[in-house]
Amino acid sequence: MSLTITCPICGKRDGYEFRFGGEDKGPRPDEDGLTPQSWCEYVHLNECVAGRQKEWWVHKDGCGSWFTIHRDSVMNVEVATPEAHK
Amino acid sequence: MINRINQLPTLRVDPANKVIFDYKGKDYVGVEGDTVATALYHNGVRIFGRSLKYHRPRGLYSLDGECSNTCMEIDGIPNVRTENTLVKQGMRVKEQNVKGSAENDMMGFIDKLDWMMPAGFYYKTMHKPASIWPIAMKQIRKAAGLGVLSPDFEMPGKFDQIFPSADVVVIGGGPAGMNAALAAADKGLRVIIMESRPWLGGFFDYRTFDYKDAQYKNSKPLYSRARELASKVESHANIRVFKHTSVVGTYTNNLVTGFQIGTENDKFNERYIEIRAKSVVVAAGCIERPLLFENNERPGVMQVACVHRLARTYGLLAGEKAIFSVGHDLGLEAAVDLFDLGMKILCVADVREDGQNPYLMIELAKRNIPYLKGWVASKAHGSKRVNKVTMTTLDGTISRDFECDLVIASAGLTPINGHLTLAHAKLRYDSHTNFFVADTMPEKTHAAGRMLGLEDSLSIEVSGKLAGLNAALDCKLMPQSYGNTEIDALKSEIDSFTAQSKELPGPARGSKFVTAPVKGRKSFICFDEDTTIKNIKQAIDMGFDVPELIKRFTSAGTGPGQGGIPGHNLPLYVAKYTAASSKCFSSSGSSSIQSLGATPKPTNVRPPLVPTLIATYAGSKHIMMKRTPMDEMQRADGGVFRKIGVWERARYFSDDFSCRKEIENVRNNVGMLDGSTLGKFRIHGPDALKVLQRVYVSDMSKVKTGRVKYSAMCNDDGCVIDDGVVVKLAENDYYFTTSTARAGATIEWLRYHTRFDGWDFYVVNLTDSMGVINLSGPNARKVLQKVVSQDNGASGEDASNKASIQDVSNEAFPFSGYKEFMIKNTIPVKAMRLGFVGELSYELHVPSSYMVSLWNIVKEAGKEFNIQNFGVEAQNVLRMEKCHIILGQESEQRTNLLDLGLGFLWDRSKKDAKTIGAVALRQAENDPTRFRLVGFEMENNGRAARDGALIVDDKVRGYVCTARDSFSLNKAVGMALVESHLAKVGTRIQIFEDECGGERIYGTVVPMPFYDPDGKRMKS
Amino acid sequence: MVEIKRYSPVAFKASPKRTEVRDNWTVVLEYDGEGQAAFGQSNVNENYLVDLSHITRLDVQSSNLDAITPFGITIPQGLCESYLQDGVLINRMNRIQASVFCLSGKRPEMPTESSYTETTEVGMCMAIIGKDVFSITEKLTSLDFMDYAKTTPFLYQAPMSHIPCQIITLSRDGAKSGIIFTASRGYGKDMVHAIMDAGAEFGLKPAGEDKVKSWLNTL
Repeated sequence: MSLTITCPICGKRDGYEFRFGGEDKGPRPDEDGLTPQSWCEYVHLNECVAGRQKEWWVHKDGCGSWFTIHRDSVMNVEVATPEAHK
Repeated sequence: MINRINQLPTLRVDPANKVIFDYKGKDYVGVEGDTVATALYHNGVRIFGRSLKYHRPRGLYSLDGECSNTCMEIDGIPNVRTENTLVKQGMRVKEQNVKGSAENDMMGFIDKLDWMMPAGFYYKTMHKPASIWPIAMKQIRKAAGLGVLSPDFEMPGKFDQIFPSADVVVIGGGPAGMNAALAAADKGLRVIIMESRPWLGGFFDYRTFDYKDAQYKNSKPLYSRARELASKVESHANIRVFKHTSVVGTYTNNLVTGFQIGTENDKFNERYIEIRAKSVVVAAGCIERPLLFENNERPGVMQVACVHRLARTYGLLAGEKAIFSVGHDLGLEAAVDLFDLGMKILCVADVREDGQNPYLMIELAKRNIPYLKGWVASKAHGSKRVNKVTMTTLDGTISRDFECDLVIASAGLTPINGHLTLAHAKLRYDSHTNFFVADTMPEKTHAAGRMLGLEDSLSIEVSGKLAGLNAALDCKLMPQSYGNTEIDALKSEIDSFTAQSKELPGPARGSKFVTAPVKGRKSFICFDEDTTIKNIKQAIDMGFDVPELIKRFTSAGTGPGQGGIPGHNLPLYVAKYTAASSKCFSSSGSSSIQSLGATPKPTNVRPPLVPTLIATYAGSKHIMMKRTPMDEMQRADGGVFRKIGVWERARYFSDDFSCRKEIENVRNNVGMLDGSTLGKFRIHGPDALKVLQRVYVSDMSKVKTGRVKYSAMCNDDGCVIDDGVVVKLAENDYYFTTSTARAGATIEWLRYHTRFDGWDFYVVNLTDSMGVINLSGPNARKVLQKVVSQDNGASGEDASNKASIQDVSNEAFPFSGYKEFMIKNTIPVKAMRLGFVGELSYELHVPSSYMVSLWNIVKEAGKEFNIQNFGVEAQNVLRMEKCHIILGQESEQRTNLLDLGLGFLWDRSKKDAKTIGAVALRQAENDPTRFRLVGFEMENNGRAARDGALIVDDKVRGYVCTARDSFSLNKAVGMALVESHLAKVGTRIQIFEDECGGERIYGTVVPMPFYDPDGKRMKS
Repeated sequence: MVEIKRYSPVAFKASPKRTEVRDNWTVVLEYDGEGQAAFGQSNVNENYLVDLSHITRLDVQSSNLDAITPFGITIPQGLCESYLQDGVLINRMNRIQASVFCLSGKRPEMPTESSYTETTEVGMCMAIIGKDVFSITEKLTSLDFMDYAKTTPFLYQAPMSHIPCQIITLSRDGAKSGIIFTASRGYGKDMVHAIMDAGAEFGLKPAGEDKVKSWLNTL
């Protein structure tokens, strides 16, 4: 309830306006050289950092944007300015 | 009934205004401003209730609701804290946890049985044999627990919520808090101050003189200073005052929650308050540390401020003959003041060896009040209320008894730290103040006032001002705020006040932790849970050494008051006892904790910091549901509505929940269903097709103009998350539908899975914008023909064009066809020929505001074909007979496209990595361990199995998705997800239902679909 | 013969005094008991809830929004900024999207470019006007309407009474204060209930379209 997230469009808002979109793992892997193993790792393996983590959020009850923030997963607070994606 | 002192300038009651209330069926008289507790006390009530475990009599103790002693049932609501609740005309008050009355409780004998109930006894006894426990549990529940609430109790009153905006929130309306508020507000910031009492003033409010001040009686009284500050605060344009408002939660990012009790002018009984501040000042002050001695909670034993405030705030002298056993100058001040108000004071015992204020010593001497240095109360006597107290020297060598009716007992002060620790401040035990103080503060949070150990009035006020200025600086340093010059000015102002505060007295030396020289069998460390010193020792002797665990094991501090009573004493007692147990420990004496080498560790408090009604959290309880444009009309038509997802939907149209008539009418004539809840979207822009290719499993480049394409979306595990149809409106311009449940997350899904691609596309959610009429049944075409004959076409269109638009024959408008109409030259309709229910069927998408009109047009046209409504349940049975799936019924989160037999939708020529789900589908293709969706019918004309029933042999092998008694087929059929070896047609399946008592029912796997397997009805 | 009518998702428990049929909508111009029909005269202490669901609204999306001028008006550059001109309110939703409200109430000549989607039917649209608007909204949302970093008119895309809304603050100037908001059409009934309940202690009353028109004239 206390988490705030800074949306690049709307500014700082209550966390419950947003939905979590997972750790930032970069774009989908390319077709070439794709193995079941590498695919599974891309989809399911997470770093689960206890500390500062770059992750995706969507402003579901606001402007609808997807963007990344850095969050301290131990204190559950946002720790840096977001990198905006449209 | 005791007399009230009516003339005190400090009074917060109006003795002229009587309030009549009911206590146990009799009328009692209080006065305006009284709390329920003070009104009862005024009327002579001394025993307010009985304790949780031992049924000990309990009475007034702190007057601030820190323990459950004075919790009562008021107007049917149990556990109301009567010390914090103002008495109102006609209130009905009852004591609780008594058999008989609080005065004569038949369960009182349990107090003698404490030897049977050592710490943690309920973890260890009554468990063997197991059959004893249910009986024991019943008996314990009868005897223990506070308050009774029936399961069907409905909370009376009006509850509300408010989310006010503020820059600075100040917690605590005492001298420090008020100064903080004024300082921040003067800098142009919006300030909210929250005070738990119904007035501002804090511990200045009831005091007539400052004990630090030599000029007793000639100097300005503290209460008038408090009122001066209060009037400044309340008239300040930038300050919003919430009085009678308890803060119950403080969190990271300066989120503060609380609840306010309404006055008679308010429209609420209580309201929940949630504020996201830019900076927070905590000036919550101190409470008193209970003094530990035998029977230290006997009615007649009270804390200093309780007795002092009873007199000064409410005009009530708590007793006639009082003994003081204190550890702080506030106790000496109270003794002087209460003496002057007419209380007989037999003696003042002080546990401190030195550090007393000399002026107070002089005042005590002037009044001939005997003063015993190094003495402490060791035992209160009297079976129901105090009639005598034993005083003892700290080493226990000399004792003396005093006959009295009041023991004013307090070991010292302890700060209210909950607001800091909830926001993750770390506490450290400070050996100078003997307080737990915050070592690291939460971001943008500032503490002020007494909780820092300050005692000097001016120091307290300046610390408040500094906190307010620092909070102002926090706000001004935030982006999009003020210019640098202002920040610099503010910083230098802070510096000058910091310098000024250094000239003033700093934190005072606090009294050490002291326990009376007794064994502690009846020395209560926690009143709410009836935990004694002896219990704590038992726990430590069993090996517990961490206060937080001892708290759990002995339950000390787990009652409504949390740390209010045991918060200070428990960790200190544990530290002292554990450190000293190896060093010939004596439980008495005042040797410092640190000298024993122990570090007290505070226990945690949790929100709500103050007991709060769930009704207050619920607030105004608005249920927000979506309604379709047909809502009212369908209700008028007898629709039985259910909440389904975010929508209210018509599930049935009669009391017959099997929906036989609705179903048969669709199969034989024609029915209409409100399908408006379907997700509906427009996607356009240069890269629109790429997006569809990404999220749908099919090749979406094959969507043809004038046709609809059915497809599905999977997640990256290949599991189906959505199905729907896509219509091409123009090049890179599509209209598509999603399932009802998926509508809210669709745009998010599209954007998520394209977030690295930089594609140029635009999506508009049209879900609520379009109503949907599902027109189904063998007569559907005839009805549609009549409706579209009212299509005048766009103006200027020639007759042949018009005729082709109006042609809805099977050739002109085939299965999977798409057409647009303009009904009566006004209502634009997107029409799709689909067949979800297995009949000739059209979906008409119409602007929501026109939906009622179109519905009526269709209904009128269908009258001659006996058109009827059908609801969601009828649709569910109809489509199940046709084996059309509903996601979430025939699937759960592990069910992939192939399991459902929908593999034909997947276009394998698309690149796997770029189609969501394709990689996983490729991997799952030959996986024999996956479930398969199968159709089955019940054996021997049996009834349908219940949805969700398990398919079993010696193990669970699957489950029933949907099964119904089918009127169309005259047998019970259903679909189930089963292990692949059970998927072959003809396999017998065993079905296990909840509460079947081992009696299984049986079915046989049969080919799908059950109804119209060739699809002739749907497609012709 | 079925009469063709358009229905608003919003209904008030009040009886219309004057109505007007416009593009098949029955638009209430004034309700009984509204007092002075024009805003800001005798009724400075009153607060009104007005249904504007019939006004034409458009969604416009493009990667190059600067090149688009709905009804000849430039879309504001700043994110979440709004702009009101000639009865047209344009709200910048994000880098590629804006919403357009035709507050005049008349159906305009619709632009034909594919970047536009008509969204009139997507939502309810209401105005809350009067001096206590923000005392009412603070019971429904934690949004800071008085944020000094913002200048009116500005857009909030955020939940009110738990429902995602577009809320445009047009004025926070004492008795002239007012917001216009949209939210999904389906929530119309429950939203009116929540707002009327929150506004009860401030004497919030339903009012007709004329009230908003006269209020807009005071801005």
